[in-house]
Amino acid sequence: MSELLSDIALFGENIPWLEGIRSRGRNAFVMPTAKTEAWKYTKLHVLQRDDFVYAPSKFLEELEGCAEEECDCGCEHHHENEECTCGTHCHCAHRPKLYIDLPFDAYQIHFYNGKFMPLYPALPVGVEVMTLMQAVVEGEVQNYLGKYIDLQSYPFAALNTAMLEEGLFVKIDAGISLKKPLMFIYHTQTEQHLLSNIRNIFVAGKGANISVIEYYYHIGDDKDCYFNNIVNEFYLSPQANITHYKFQNEAFKAIHIALNYARVRENAFYKSFCLQKGADLGRNETKIDLLQEQAKSQVDAAYIMNGWATIDTTTDVAHLSPQTISDQLVKGVVGGQAKGVFQGKISIVKDAQATEGHQLHRALLLSDTAEIDVKPELEIYADDVKCSHGAACGEIDQDQLFYMRSRGIPEEEAKQMLIDAYLLEVINRIDNEQIREWILSNV
Amino acid sequence: MNTLLKIEDLCAQVAGKEIIKNFNLTINEGEVHAIMGPNGAGKSTLSYVLTGKPGYEVTSGHIWFKGKDLLKMSVEERSREGLFLIMQYPVEIPGVPVTSFLKHAVNAQRQYNGEPELDTMEFIKYLREEAKKLGIDNEMLKRPVNVGFSGGEKKRLEALQMTILKPSLAILDEADSGLDIDAIKVVSNGVNALRNEHRSLLIITHYQKLLTYIKPDFVHVFADGHIVKSGDQSLSEEIEQNGYAAYTREQ
Ligand SMILES: Nc1ncnc2c1ncn2[C@@H]1O[C@H](COP(=O)(O)OP(=O)(O)OP(=O)(O)O)[C@@H](O)[C@H]1O
Ligand SMILES: [Mg+2]
Repeated sequence: MSELLSDIALFGENIPWLEGIRSRGRNAFVMPTAKTEAWKYTKLHVLQRDDFVYAPSKFLEELEGCAEEECDCGCEHHHENEECTCGTHCHCAHRPKLYIDLPFDAYQIHFYNGKFMPLYPALPVGVEVMTLMQAVVEGEVQNYLGKYIDLQSYPFAALNTAMLEEGLFVKIDAGISLKKPLMFIYHTQTEQHLLSNIRNIFVAGKGANISVIEYYYHIGDDKDCYFNNIVNEFYLSPQANITHYKFQNEAFKAIHIALNYARVRENAFYKSFCLQKGADLGRNETKIDLLQEQAKSQVDAAYIMNGWATIDTTTDVAHLSPQTISDQLVKGVVGGQAKGVFQGKISIVKDAQATEGHQLHRALLLSDTAEIDVKPELEIYADDVKCSHGAACGEIDQDQLFYMRSRGIPEEEAKQMLIDAYLLEVINRIDNEQIREWILSNV
Repeated sequence: MNTLLKIEDLCAQVAGKEIIKNFNLTINEGEVHAIMGPNGAGKSTLSYVLTGKPGYEVTSGHIWFKGKDLLKMSVEERSREGLFLIMQYPVEIPGVPVTSFLKHAVNAQRQYNGEPELDTMEFIKYLREEAKKLGIDNEMLKRPVNVGFSGGEKKRLEALQMTILKPSLAILDEADSGLDIDAIKVVSNGVNALRNEHRSLLIITHYQKLLTYIKPDFVHVFADGHIVKSGDQSLSEEIEQNGYAAYTREQ
C-alpha cells in the first residue's frame, strides 16, 4: 500500500496548498495493525494480501469529452450527451446503462470504477455540484478540505488525503430545500484490483435541506476484488438538515472503508441510515461533532452478512456544546462464519450540560460460527446528561420459526421473514417511504 | 371409510422425559375425536409430536397420515399435506403483519399443490370476508401476528388460519380457552363450516361446552401418556361431573 503512494501522478501537483494537504496525508498514513485499538476487531489481512492499483483520473479529458483516439466504442451517440446502449465501454461519458431504474425519483450522479462520470443532473438554482478538483481550483473548499479530520485517528482518511483527486463538492445555498434526493451511484465492474479513492464534501447553508443517497453498486463478477476508500464530509450551517442514506452492496471480495464526518451547528440535524450487505471487509465509520446548541444527529444502521465477511459499524459522536442530542440504533444479522463489529463512542465534554446521547446495538446470530464484537464507549464529563447505551445478541426464536413452519411456510422463507422483521425496527426509522421500501426490498 | 390418521404404539419424550407412552389412535375421514385429560397428561405434547416440533422426540411407534409416514415429513410438509394445529399458546411474531404472514402460508400451500400464487388484492378481499365471520376486524389483520392480542383474539386468529388453510385434520388444542361464551360459538361455527365427509377434527379440551357446539363422534380420556378410556359424548359429561380421579394412577 505504501509503495503505491510514491509513484502516482495526481492532478494539481503544482498547487502548493493541495500538495501540502496531500503530503500531510502521506506522512500520517500508517497501516493499522492488530495492536491499533480502533482496528482491533476488524482485521486488515485482506488488504495486505492484495496488491491494489490506482488508475489516475482522466477527469480533465472527460470534462471536455474523452480524446477521440482513446475511444473505440464506435457508437453513433459518441460524445453526445445522451445515454448509450452500444454495450462497449469507452472513456467518454457514454457508458451503457449508467442510469438505473429506481422506485423513486432522484438526481443521479454516477461514478464508474471510482471515477466520476461527468453527466450532471439538471439541479435547481441554489444547488451546485462540481468536481473536487474544480472546487480546489476555484477556491471553494479551502475552508473545509483537510481542516478538521484528524488524520492520525483515521488512517484511511490519511490515505484518502494523500491521494486527493476524485470526488465531488456539493453546495446547497441557505434556505434551499432539494425536493428529490441527490443520489451517488458507485458502479464497479473490474477485474483489476482497483483502488478507488473518493472524497466528497457537502456544504449545507443556513436552513438548507437535502437528502443524499450513496449506492455502492457492483455489476461485475461476484469475485471482483477491489478497494473503495471513501471519505465524505458534511458541513451543516444552523438549521440545516442533511439526511444521508447509504446502501453498501459491494462484491463479496471487495473492501469498502468509509469515513463520514459531520460538523453540525445550532439547530441543524445530520440524520443517516446505512445498510451494509456486501464486501469482504466493510467498515462504515461516522464521526460527528455537535458544535452548538440543539445540534442533533441520528446515525442508524443495519447490516446483514454471511460467508466470511467482516462488517464494521464504528461511530464517534462528540457532544461539544450544551443541549445537543444524539441517537443511534444499529441492528445486524450475522450468519456463516461472518463477523459483525460495532464500536460506538459517545463523548460529552465538561460544559455540555442538558445533553442527550443514546445508542443501541442489537444483533441476530444465525450460526454458531458467526461472531459479534461490540465495544461501547462512554466518555462523559458533564453531569446533567441523559445517556443510555445497550447491546444485545440473540438468535432466531425457535418457537416463532416452528409456528411459521407449522403453517406451511418453508424454513428458509420463514427465517428470511423473521430477519426482515428484526431489521424492520431500524429501517422504519427512515422517514421517506419510497426509500424505506427500496431499502426493505434489498435486505 | 378411509383412515386419515393412524397412530401406533407411539412413545415420545421431551427434554429426556417420556411423556407419550404406547399411544394408539385411529381417526377416519370425517370423524370428530375429542381428547380430555388432566393437566400435564401430555395432550399438548401429542399435538407437537404430530406437527413435528423440534425437541419432541419419537422413541418408538409409527404415525400414518393419509397412508404416508408422517414422521418422515418436515414441519412444513405436514402442514401442506393438510395437518393443522390450533395451538394452546399461539406465538407472537413482532414485525410480521397478519396479512403477509397468511399470504406466505397460503402461497406456500398453493405452490405445493401446483396452483398459481394468489393475487394480493384478491387475497386481501377473501381474507377480510373470512375474518369478518370470526369477528376479526381489518385493523387486526394489519397488526403483527398475535402481538398484544388478547387471549380470545389469539384463538380467533388461530381459527382464521384454519379457515384459510382448510386442513384435512385440524387439531384444536384448547381452542376454547380464553374465549367468552359468544366467541366459543363464533369459533365453533367457523370450525363446523369447514367440516365435510373428508375432514376430521381432533379436539383437546377441558370443557364439555365446546363439545356441545362441535359434536364429537368419540371421546377419549388421556392420562399418563395414553388413552385410558374411549366412549361417546356421554363420557365427556361424566368427566365434567366426576373429574379424572377414576382414571389417574394415584387412584
Ligand atoms: N419442553 C419441555 N421441557 C420439559 N418438560 C416439558 C416440556 N414440554 C412439556 N413438558 C412436560 O410434559 C408434561 C406434559 O405437558 P403437556 O403440555 O403436554 O400437558 P397437557 O396435557 O397439554 O396439559 P394442560 O392440560 O395443562 O395443557 C408436563 O409435565 C410438562 O411439564
Ligand atoms: Mg396442553
